[in-house]
Amino acid sequence: MTHPTDIHASSALPRRRTRLAVSERQLAVARHLVLMGFALVVLFPFFWIVSAAFKTQIDLLVGKVFFTPHLDGFLDVMFDKTSDFARNFANSMVIGLISTFLVLIVSTLAAFSLYRLQWPAWVLHSILGWSVIFHLVPPITLAGAWFSMFRSVGLDNSYAGIILAHTTLHLPMALWMMGVFVRDVPKELVEAAQIDGAKVPDILWHVVLPIVRPGLAATGILTFIFSWNEFPVALVLSQRQTATVPLGIGKYAQENTIAFTEMAAASTLSIIPAFLLLLFAQRFIVRGLTSGAVK
Amino acid sequence: MADVRLDGLSKSFGKLDVIKDISLEIEDGEFVVLIGPSGCGKSTLLRMIAGLESISSGRLDIGGLPMNDVPSRDRGISMVFQSYALYPHMNTADNMSFSLRLAGEDVATRLGKVARAAETLGLEPYLDRLPKQLSGGQRQRVAMGRAIVRKPEVFLFDEPLSNLDAKLRVKMRAELKELHQKLKTTTIYVTHDQVEAMTLADRIVVLRDGEIEQIGTPLELYDNPAKAFVGSFLGSPTMNLLDLEVSAEDTAMARFSDGDAIRLALPATPGRATVGIRPECFTLRSADAPGALRAEVVVVEPTGASTELLVRKAGQNITVLTHERLNTRPGDNVWLVPDVDRVHTFNDDAAA
Repeated sequence: MTHPTDIHASSALPRRRTRLAVSERQLAVARHLVLMGFALVVLFPFFWIVSAAFKTQIDLLVGKVFFTPHLDGFLDVMFDKTSDFARNFANSMVIGLISTFLVLIVSTLAAFSLYRLQWPAWVLHSILGWSVIFHLVPPITLAGAWFSMFRSVGLDNSYAGIILAHTTLHLPMALWMMGVFVRDVPKELVEAAQIDGAKVPDILWHVVLPIVRPGLAATGILTFIFSWNEFPVALVLSQRQTATVPLGIGKYAQENTIAFTEMAAASTLSIIPAFLLLLFAQRFIVRGLTSGAVK
Repeated sequence: MADVRLDGLSKSFGKLDVIKDISLEIEDGEFVVLIGPSGCGKSTLLRMIAGLESISSGRLDIGGLPMNDVPSRDRGISMVFQSYALYPHMNTADNMSFSLRLAGEDVATRLGKVARAAETLGLEPYLDRLPKQLSGGQRQRVAMGRAIVRKPEVFLFDEPLSNLDAKLRVKMRAELKELHQKLKTTTIYVTHDQVEAMTLADRIVVLRDGEIEQIGTPLELYDNPAKAFVGSFLGSPTMNLLDLEVSAEDTAMARFSDGDAIRLALPATPGRATVGIRPECFTLRSADAPGALRAEVVVVEPTGASTELLVRKAGQNITVLTHERLNTRPGDNVWLVPDVDRVHTFNDDAAA
């Protein structure tokens, strides 16, 4: 009785399996097409900007696809006497590095204190809540107030002013990120250190910091890139001597002319630090450093 | 080395009392095991002694000195955590010498102490490995090494073997016992495993709901449990707890619902009684005898060295452990003669 159905079942099974295999391959192809589409959307502007940087203004404006590459844009941006770009670059470096350093110190100390030093819950929640609210406020609404405050204490058009502003702006994000990393440090490690004789600074320095190093790298890179890209606050707080890279790029769009090739060349150059930073720090952003600590 | 004295120790989290008025004296060099079901407060009590939890009320002395408000690092204790809590970025030697480094000892002294501890624990080949490069048992040993290099007054262990597999657990248990015999340091050890408690302890403290149920040497607790809870918690297979009736006419007998009776070691108050008999405290007979209880065999489990029988008597299950080789089968009748001296009557139920 069962024989005919058995045969049916056994012959149906492989057929279904082949059909499945085909549809899986189709799915993979479709998935890759979608991903390639995304990659194109993300990478095309880069490609366009970089290729524009190598064109002459005329090639660019007539929309030439095939062209003889020129370095004029780069040379103008870097070496022309009227160009401030080298200075902008140095300003951005100084402001980015120092504000990132300050952000990392404050956010790490704050995260360690909030998550590992047994504060009442309301302290933790109100500080984190306030930092979110602050983060949601558009920076430009603060820039005006900062400008008049800094001017009255003589910090306008100074590194210190922009560094303070960038530190304040990027602290909430860094606090949240470092909070996640510090919370991931097993509580028992802190307790073991306490019993081993460590005081609070020892615990932070010898136990927590080495473990959250990947977190410091990730947070530091993001903070630096945010500072590097920040436009409105830097625009309000700086003048020619302290202008940062985004302001320098923006300046190529003048009222009467837009220096497209210089703008493209400056943009291309401005990508380099973030790119190098990511390449260099990628190996630090590896999870799993805590494996073997507990369990 | 030091004695540890707990005097009316209590701990509350808000309105919840986790530890209720615990008093206990632990002598210098003694190995005391705190045991109880999960949530009984044994780990909390240990953490209070360690200084990782504050003490709500009561007094804690270590080595005759009040410790209530002394930070962990100054209590002269070492602790081994269930999760080992090794510093993941430090190798074995650095993990073990971290406390010495914090105490400001110079490199040569540190190395010497670490080398001696490593020798005791067989860790010499692994001194420059990171925790993630060690097996579970090796990590366990490093955690112990970290505890012993400090030469503490008191060792605290929080379920240190529960992350190991069964075989390794037995091995490490023996090593722990040997270590204690060698170092003779006062030790407080928390576990929920009654075999660890029985084999390691000089004295066992049984906890339930934040209170001490009974304190005694392992065999005292095994032979004379004060409560059904203690009786059923220690020993494997578990103690049989029978729900019987003591009549007013004869308070030395406890009856099953089918009329058969067990003679009690001491007269009991009339009414329902919980009677505890350990599985090995029965003599098996294949025919009726005076004082014997007829029961039906349900399951036979031979393990080679012994045989465990599950029998049913008047609707109640009884486990019997015997070292005889039996050829009974499920459905057969057997006659059980309980050892009168080892029949316990309890007035609590063992809701463990």
